[in-house]
Amino acid sequence: MTIDGSGKTGPRVGEIAMAPVRFAMGLVDAPLRKLQKVAGLGGMATFFLLPNMLIFGIFVLLPFFINFAYSMTGGSALFLSDRSFVGVDQYARLFDCSNYLDPNSCAEDTFWTAVGNTGWFVVLQVTLMIAFSLVTALILNRDLKARSFWRAMFFFPVLLSPVVVGLIWKWILQRQGLLNFGLYGFGFDPYAWLNDRTWSFAAAVAVSIWAHMGFYTLILLAGLQAIPKDLYEAAEMDGTRSMRVFMRITLPLLMPNLLVVIVLVLIRAVQIFDEVYVLTGGGPGTSTLFLTQYIYETGFATQLRNPGLAAAASILMGVVLVVLTLVQLGLGRSSDKNGGRK
Amino acid sequence: MGHIKLTNVAKSFGNVDVLHGIDLEIGDGEFVVFVGPSGCGKSTLLRIIAGLEKPTGGELAIDGAVVNNVPAADRGLAMVFQSYALYPHMSVRQNLAFGLENTRMPKPEIRERIAEAARMLEIEPYLDRRPGQLSGGQRQRVAIGRAIVRRPVAFLLDEPLSNLDAELRGSTRAELAALHARLSATMIYVTHDQIEAMTLADRIVVLRAGRIEQVGTPLELYNAPANRFVAGFIGSPHMNFLEGTVETNGPGKTVATLAGGHRLEVPLDNAGIANGAKVTVGVRPHHISIGGEQGLPATIRLVEALGSETVLHADVSGQKVLVVAPGQHDLAPGADVRLSLSAAPLHMFNEKGLRLGHAV
Ligand SMILES: Nc1ncnc2c1ncn2[C@@H]1O[C@H](COP(=O)(O)OP(=O)(O)OP(=O)(O)O)[C@@H](O)[C@H]1O
Ligand SMILES: [Mg+2]
Repeated sequence: MTIDGSGKTGPRVGEIAMAPVRFAMGLVDAPLRKLQKVAGLGGMATFFLLPNMLIFGIFVLLPFFINFAYSMTGGSALFLSDRSFVGVDQYARLFDCSNYLDPNSCAEDTFWTAVGNTGWFVVLQVTLMIAFSLVTALILNRDLKARSFWRAMFFFPVLLSPVVVGLIWKWILQRQGLLNFGLYGFGFDPYAWLNDRTWSFAAAVAVSIWAHMGFYTLILLAGLQAIPKDLYEAAEMDGTRSMRVFMRITLPLLMPNLLVVIVLVLIRAVQIFDEVYVLTGGGPGTSTLFLTQYIYETGFATQLRNPGLAAAASILMGVVLVVLTLVQLGLGRSSDKNGGRK
Repeated sequence: MGHIKLTNVAKSFGNVDVLHGIDLEIGDGEFVVFVGPSGCGKSTLLRIIAGLEKPTGGELAIDGAVVNNVPAADRGLAMVFQSYALYPHMSVRQNLAFGLENTRMPKPEIRERIAEAARMLEIEPYLDRRPGQLSGGQRQRVAIGRAIVRRPVAFLLDEPLSNLDAELRGSTRAELAALHARLSATMIYVTHDQIEAMTLADRIVVLRAGRIEQVGTPLELYNAPANRFVAGFIGSPHMNFLEGTVETNGPGKTVATLAGGHRLEVPLDNAGIANGAKVTVGVRPHHISIGGEQGLPATIRLVEALGSETVLHADVSGQKVLVVAPGQHDLAPGADVRLSLSAAPLHMFNEKGLRLGHAV
């Protein structure tokens, strides 16, 4: 589809569509010219960036500072003006443990349970996510039949909202769910998977992988397809074994994409919340309680809400995320320097 | 070592037939060049020989052994790709070593071979650089070096010089010729470039639409093209073709009447063609001279003065004729001239495009 089109009506439709644009441009042209005379070219750049900077400031930067302020206050009052300044008490509370290896010895033991759960989740989910999406990308990169169909299949879950993802799998895994219905056909008794500590954790890992894998597969697939085919042909002429081709050619050339994927997966795994919250609600007990859910519940959902503590926890989580992001930027820069592919 | 024989080799991609029954024998140490229009199957044929593509019919033998089912790596061939296909993340040295390491060759020997190839190709200063840090010409040498270190029985080169600028292409061409003389290995070379084909080849294979049109030495193809296609393809600028009909058909000479009524005598041993048959007379631009009372009346349409020679685009009763005249001429478009073909070797082609008899 082209705007000016090559059909007979094309150019005329284009003309008509452009008319209001031209009219508007005519209106703003003169004032913008005047502005440029006053502000200069650099000033114009600032002027055009301003809307975006405002949005960023209002919705990202400002809340960040407000959050930081909250983390220095105590009590359950909602408005900052009603809250008392407590300094670093909230942070001290989070770190108040008699034995740092045992969450139960901490004053805020649920926080540490959530940290522990999140840690395990990150290790498991990131490893499996990378492995699955890499293998899937490698398979999809081959000349297999109905390749586009399979690509679409793997990408499809990415399009679903996290709540939908959580609900779908809840309906599958709950006691009266699809899975038990299927197993019942084979003579198994129904089992409440989501009421089992191990199974619900496994489900959280599996579902979050299923929901996001397609996105990372796509990034890796793009990386694989950017590797020139004749490199593989050169390797074939040289009689290179397929394992060596993978280790010495595919992997190094995929590395820039792989690093991006690893860091993105890592950052998102630390932030895990919505689909798991819908799926397990953090249970049974606190077995699938993750950091974001802890922050959310501490700040908003519990009877005795404590916005200050939640703010402090979220600042700590933010520090972790900033470190991970810096690592990503650093890695990206060093792989740029190495030339990557040319 | 390096004797390659193709018997009735065919290739189809799905239901598209790309090569139809190719028969070709390439002798040991021979430099064979494949030429032909884009899409005629040159690369496909080369890739079949390399083992990167499987033929769908026929037989391919190297040194007497049928290799249809032998993997590419075990055929003892090395390929130089048009894009060079150097591993971008490895140093030049690693690029050269990569293939040798696959064969579990002892390290000292690998080092020795790399040193030798690097010396031969003068790439020693760049051994620790990556391909991205090299110029096009240097990369090209590395690509050739990667083939040389493997000591193949034959080199396969697919348009290896096409990414170089004209000047570099000229010097690299000469180096390739020297390299071939020095290694005395079989080389099969695909190119679009007339000059590369003419200067490098022991024999040229002209392909069209998946068929061999003619195989021969460069001068055979230039002097005695088998058909109108080869006549038009070999030589630059390409041969002029003038449509006409056979008037008399005597022994030793055939007279054709051209579209404008002009009569042309073509010396032929045995034309074997009936009077009144439609024919095409071919004459190369370099063989036409300007002037002469008996010449073809022509109108100049365009003059391209190149200094050492002048290319004239002329119109001979509606047919376009190209003339390359030595030196400089002060002719202007619109001028009426006469074109003399008396000294020119003339070729005559029948309606099917086949060349008749033997021009002197
Ligand atoms: N993998 C493939 N699948 C389908 N058709 C192919 C494939 N590879 C080549 N072809 C077709 O085979 C024909 C010959 O291709 P080939 O690359 O051998 O041409 P070529 O003579 O090397 O052309 P060029 O001078 O442009 O490089 C072309 O029509 C091309 O479209
Ligand atoms: Mg080609």
